[in-house]
Amino acid sequence: MPHSLSLTINGESYTLQVEPYCSLLDMLRDQLQLTGTKKGCDEGDCGACTVLMNGKTVTSCMVLALDARDQEITTVEGLRQDNTLHPVQAAFVQYGGVQCGFCTPGLIMSGVGLLLENPQPTEEEVRFAIGGNLCRCTGYSKVVQAILKAAETMQAQASTA
Amino acid sequence: MPDSKVLGQNYPRVDAADKVSGRSQYASDVYLPGMLMCKVLKSPKPHARILHIDTSRAQGRPGVRAIITGRDVPDARFGNGAVKDKRLFALDKVRYIGEPVAAVAAVDEITALEALDLIDVTYEDLPAVTDPIAALRPDAPLVHEDLPSYEGYKPSMRGNICTVLDADRGDVDAAFAQADHVFEDTFRSQGINQGYLEAMACVANVDPSGRINVWTSTQAPYQIRATLAAVIDRPMSRIRIIPMELGGGFGAKLRLCVEAYPVLLALHTGKPVKLIATREETFTLSGFRLPTIVYLKTGVRNDGTIVAREAISIFDMGAHLGAGVQSGVSHTLGPYNIPNYRMRSYAVYTNKIWAGSYRASGVADVTFAVESHTDIIARRLGLDPWEFRKLNAFNEGDLALQGGKIPRNGLHETMDAVKQHLGWPRTSKAGTGVGLAMCQWRSGSGPSTASVSLLEDGTVSLLTGSVDISGTDTVFAQITAETLGVDMNDVVIARRDTDLAPFTGPSGGSRIIYSQGKAVQMAAADARDKLIALAAEHLDVQPGMLTCADGRVYMTETPERGYTLGQLARMSLTSASGPIMGTAALSAMPFAPIFSTQAAEVSVDKETGKVRVVRFVQAQDVGVAINPMAVEGQIDGGAVQGIGRAITEEVVIKDGQILNPSLTTYLMPMAADVPSIENILVQVPTDDGPFGARAVAEPPGFGPPAAIANAIEDAVGVRIKELPLSAEKILRALHGEAPASTELDHDLLQQLRGSSGPE
Repeated sequence: MPHSLSLTINGESYTLQVEPYCSLLDMLRDQLQLTGTKKGCDEGDCGACTVLMNGKTVTSCMVLALDARDQEITTVEGLRQDNTLHPVQAAFVQYGGVQCGFCTPGLIMSGVGLLLENPQPTEEEVRFAIGGNLCRCTGYSKVVQAILKAAETMQAQASTA
Repeated sequence: MPDSKVLGQNYPRVDAADKVSGRSQYASDVYLPGMLMCKVLKSPKPHARILHIDTSRAQGRPGVRAIITGRDVPDARFGNGAVKDKRLFALDKVRYIGEPVAAVAAVDEITALEALDLIDVTYEDLPAVTDPIAALRPDAPLVHEDLPSYEGYKPSMRGNICTVLDADRGDVDAAFAQADHVFEDTFRSQGINQGYLEAMACVANVDPSGRINVWTSTQAPYQIRATLAAVIDRPMSRIRIIPMELGGGFGAKLRLCVEAYPVLLALHTGKPVKLIATREETFTLSGFRLPTIVYLKTGVRNDGTIVAREAISIFDMGAHLGAGVQSGVSHTLGPYNIPNYRMRSYAVYTNKIWAGSYRASGVADVTFAVESHTDIIARRLGLDPWEFRKLNAFNEGDLALQGGKIPRNGLHETMDAVKQHLGWPRTSKAGTGVGLAMCQWRSGSGPSTASVSLLEDGTVSLLTGSVDISGTDTVFAQITAETLGVDMNDVVIARRDTDLAPFTGPSGGSRIIYSQGKAVQMAAADARDKLIALAAEHLDVQPGMLTCADGRVYMTETPERGYTLGQLARMSLTSASGPIMGTAALSAMPFAPIFSTQAAEVSVDKETGKVRVVRFVQAQDVGVAINPMAVEGQIDGGAVQGIGRAITEEVVIKDGQILNPSLTTYLMPMAADVPSIENILVQVPTDDGPFGARAVAEPPGFGPPAAIANAIEDAVGVRIKELPLSAEKILRALHGEAPASTELDHDLLQQLRGSSGPE
């Protein structure tokens, strides 16, 4: 029996009817066709479905849609501002953090979430922060490099703003 | 490296902005109106006769639209290897836990899953054989009773043996007799899942005209088209495969896997049907690598020269023949010039899921054996492991196993580079150690096609049928831009499907840049030659007086005389030869080996047995790095896959049942588990690859298990011969327990030595 749910996704408010067993991930993908968020395992192990809920990273397959009531969700589709890539996205492009791309949205959300909390992370902190995101293509080196470079870019932007 | 604005540059991937924005479309992202969801019922038995299938209860479930079993589909066998030993659905008996028995289409996934529970299958258990050595026994249950009736059957197939390969040179027994030292070791690898992040997914839709459209996650659209046509009994021209963005495959997506189920259900229902595999189904519905046993015997002279090698390999194929057995005769010598050898390689059926492909199937298993054995010999003889390898390593002009001679290559340069980078030989601190491994692969070959079209404004469109893996489209754009002298941004890679692009080989086996890239280079050169011919005609000069560069064709001596590519493209529309289009096709490329040298530095915790890779260094001969960032990214990933294979990854199978089909329990490396890989790109160009490039993808994953095993012995004096190199095994060995090992008994070895195998 579907229940009514109101929440904010990428700055826009939605009211939806969802089944009680529906995960936030399935709601994003199947109901809203926000398919940038990926389903890699559906059991909280791979991190491909990582989104921000009120600025904190969560694996959206492990969150019931109804538990996101009145929350603010940011998905990878919500990172671009004014048709410009977020610095973490731009760094993934420039430094080769992307290969097959399936884990990429989740890794980027984990990187964005980290930099919200810790704008100047060490390499070890980056590796720990993305420790819930599996990637089979890159071996992580260039992903870590991209997040560290994005941190520098965001610092520079903050100091000139 | 030629002087170039495009080659050797770290261009970001052409698809990177789409991917970081979540806008690339994978097969699971395809939603069609009225789409049904498909689920597959799988056998719970390792070996059993199917007595009866009753689908009536499931048919009655509201929301269920169709159910099909082996009785509802064309009676066709297909194969992953040389013999057609496989059906879409088990018909009379099931041969492994997970074998498809029925498929359901329903209005949603939950209804489809509920319907699976309502299908009643009556089985009669048969004795199962799940261990490859047990499967070789004369009294073992037969996985396939009627092999001679199969297409592709060969007389060497007997009992549960599905392939026997052999290779011999010299007088190996005399060489062993004359050797100063003879060493014997047996190694065993483990079950390994490819670990692609995107599980298999497919959407099928049949047009009212009968055209079958298939959106799928595949490395091999044309090969899937051919197999699908055969198993559903329709002409290939009826089938259009649309390869979606590939979320990792590593070999798992080289063959028809799940596509036929939604296709058949779409044919039955007239509705679009979608299948998305679960993570568990990446273990139970698609094959992965099964354990390999490798026995090695080596004769060495006092001066360290290897004079003889015997190698007997047994590949567990599960219930259906797949890839890998070739590596028992192509890779058991290692990159060493060994004059006398006897190699035997057996593929054996067992009641387990079929062996799938994974990044040069079998070679990583065999390399673990060869490079562990190499280190064991060096240590026993008191020789430096690097010097021992250097002494025996191939030189240009040595006889190649593949026939002919070893062409120019960078093998010795990779060894020197690692030695220098590490400061070898080194004395390690207590509890830490360093180990080496060498890797080799042929550059992949096979049919390749490409076409290049000049657009009317001078920009360029490239069409190939190759699915992009690891940035190959970006490198194709670089090859095209370099050949035509245009800007990278002026090259677009056409979206393709099997209707649009001509046949090409699959994306796998390290063949894309070397072979497909060559076709791209040839097609671009063809277009360039046509542009030059058109300009020559209009300028009334000889073509040899013209240069094609910087977006123009101009007189080499008087550059101001010439045309832009846009002008020429427009002029071509009314020329005698018509619009400018370059095409190329090839069937095979010459043998161009790739070599790499890898080194692992580990620390071993003596309290827990846990190994940590502190540093990992690899030097690989890549020929020419057209895009160094892409090359590094690919070999970073390969090395980390190899580190997982070495230490933590193992598909645990007990009595045919997979015990850990989940990412919670199948442990792939996470970012915090591995160091940044230290790469050295050695560049010794090939004669034939595009701009001298070699293949890249396969070798990085081969060496880590042996390099790490060798480093563990260096660190704590313990030698583990069975993968993975788990903390438990190391701890037991540190406590003085003899490490578990597989020994092939004398009689079996003697039988396997014969080229016809055991009776």
